[in-house]
Amino acid sequence: MVLTPDFDSRPVISFQHVWKTYPTGTEALRDINLVVPEGDFLFLVGPSGAGKSTLVRLLIREEKPSKGKIFVDGVELGRMKRRKLPFYRRKIGLVFQDFKLLPNLTVYENVAFALRVLGEPDRLVHSRAAEALDTVGLAGKEQTYPSNLSGGEQQRVAIARALVHAPSMIIADEPTGNLDPATAWEIMQLFLRINARGATVVMATHNREIVDLLRRRVVAIDAGQIARDDRSGRYHDDVSKSQIRAQ
Amino acid sequence: MTVLADTMTMFRNLRFALSSAWQSFWRNLAVSMAAVLSITLILILGGVNLLVGHAFSQVLDGFRDKVSVISINVADDTPLASVYDFQQQLSNDPRVASVKFITKDQALAAFTADPNNAVLAQQLDGNPLDAKLEVRVRNLSDVASIDTLGRQWSGVDPTNPTNYQGDFVKRMLELSQWLGYAGAGLLVILVVVSVVIVMNTIRTAVYHRRKEIEVMKLVGATEWFVRGPFVIEGVMTGLIAASIALTLLVIAYPPAVQQFRNDIAFIPLSYDPSFIASLARDLLLGGALMGAVGSYIGVRRFVRL
Repeated sequence: MVLTPDFDSRPVISFQHVWKTYPTGTEALRDINLVVPEGDFLFLVGPSGAGKSTLVRLLIREEKPSKGKIFVDGVELGRMKRRKLPFYRRKIGLVFQDFKLLPNLTVYENVAFALRVLGEPDRLVHSRAAEALDTVGLAGKEQTYPSNLSGGEQQRVAIARALVHAPSMIIADEPTGNLDPATAWEIMQLFLRINARGATVVMATHNREIVDLLRRRVVAIDAGQIARDDRSGRYHDDVSKSQIRAQ
Repeated sequence: MTVLADTMTMFRNLRFALSSAWQSFWRNLAVSMAAVLSITLILILGGVNLLVGHAFSQVLDGFRDKVSVISINVADDTPLASVYDFQQQLSNDPRVASVKFITKDQALAAFTADPNNAVLAQQLDGNPLDAKLEVRVRNLSDVASIDTLGRQWSGVDPTNPTNYQGDFVKRMLELSQWLGYAGAGLLVILVVVSVVIVMNTIRTAVYHRRKEIEVMKLVGATEWFVRGPFVIEGVMTGLIAASIALTLLVIAYPPAVQQFRNDIAFIPLSYDPSFIASLARDLLLGGALMGAVGSYIGVRRFVRL
């Protein structure tokens, strides 16, 4: 079943005339206008260097926009104080191509870490981490270290860590980039399940097959600009499909 | 309720920081040992500086104690009332700590009691010694002025007024001052060198774990949540280093003093076991502080959000 995003839902992310120019003079993003409603599943596609990762970095506030405003849940990220940033990041779940697991911690410790940061009591940490690992199909591997897991399993750990604190939004940057097609598909199933539970998912990807199969919202970025924004899109432009401009 | 919840969270964070620090110390043992080694070497240097400083201050205190007493010799024909008047005048002087009158007989008794004077005492005919006022001054720098006061007194023995040795006291004061400067200078150099070394060692250790820090920040750890385990680990490193340095210094202290006394006999250096407690306190405090500050600064670059 293909779920269609409800564009009447409350917008959780809003980019308003956002520009990002690096000190070297490179214009990574130019006049980006984008609204992401609550519960949306959005693919960011485009060639390497188009600006997808910059957009993700702006969204997790690793970077600030040079011009324009970004609102998440009504809060303007550019004006957010440094000390508030950890609390913002606790509301989102992050998944990366290189997994970003802590090699010295076990699978359980890696997942539990996201809750330790919140200062949650042991009992809650234990039950939630076990639940998250169960969700991603890694029950029984709690005491294994990441280096002893396959790429797909490591990404599952990362996803468990991203969802363990029940975030309202998941941001993923090339989460299937290092995985074989079968494993990538399994990982995508997880994201779909998370989205079905109500979380908004923003995913930058190069995986054409998955984008074409899922037919979710596709925002294509090219040379720092939004080239198209299809409600039920494909990886490559297809003029026969209905298009929307979310501006 | 909120206060209770905040306290509980703080307690849990502290416990997490402690256990993280402990685990990370052992998991990165090679890097941890490099930090321990550099802090140990610095603390040994610092400890040697403290021990040498203490030994010399003990020697100086001994000398100071001796030269801060000046004897004003009383002429044989001085009336006792005049001596008591002068004693009273000296006692009221704020520069003077105490004044003791020693009669001719007492002076002779003390002289003959000293085994060094045994041969000389047998050859004495009568009592050639003066009665004297032994004046202890509060401050070594006032000995000269009390000497002047004594020499101006009408009852003083004009042939041998006082036992004041101006040059010796002056040199003592100069030596004491220079030793103070040298100790302070050495300490400043040690502190600067140690901060640079410890900071760089810990920065290297932190650099190895920059990815860990990045992940911590991405999952929403506050700066202090990230920093806490590193600072605690720094304190642990410093305390371990201080313990090693202390053990080595305590073992080496008595033979080093003995060796010094054998080589340079005229400086009465002595072993002072009571100083070890103060040395332990200084080294442990110094090590903990060095580790904490080094970690705090070392981790700063990577922690800032």
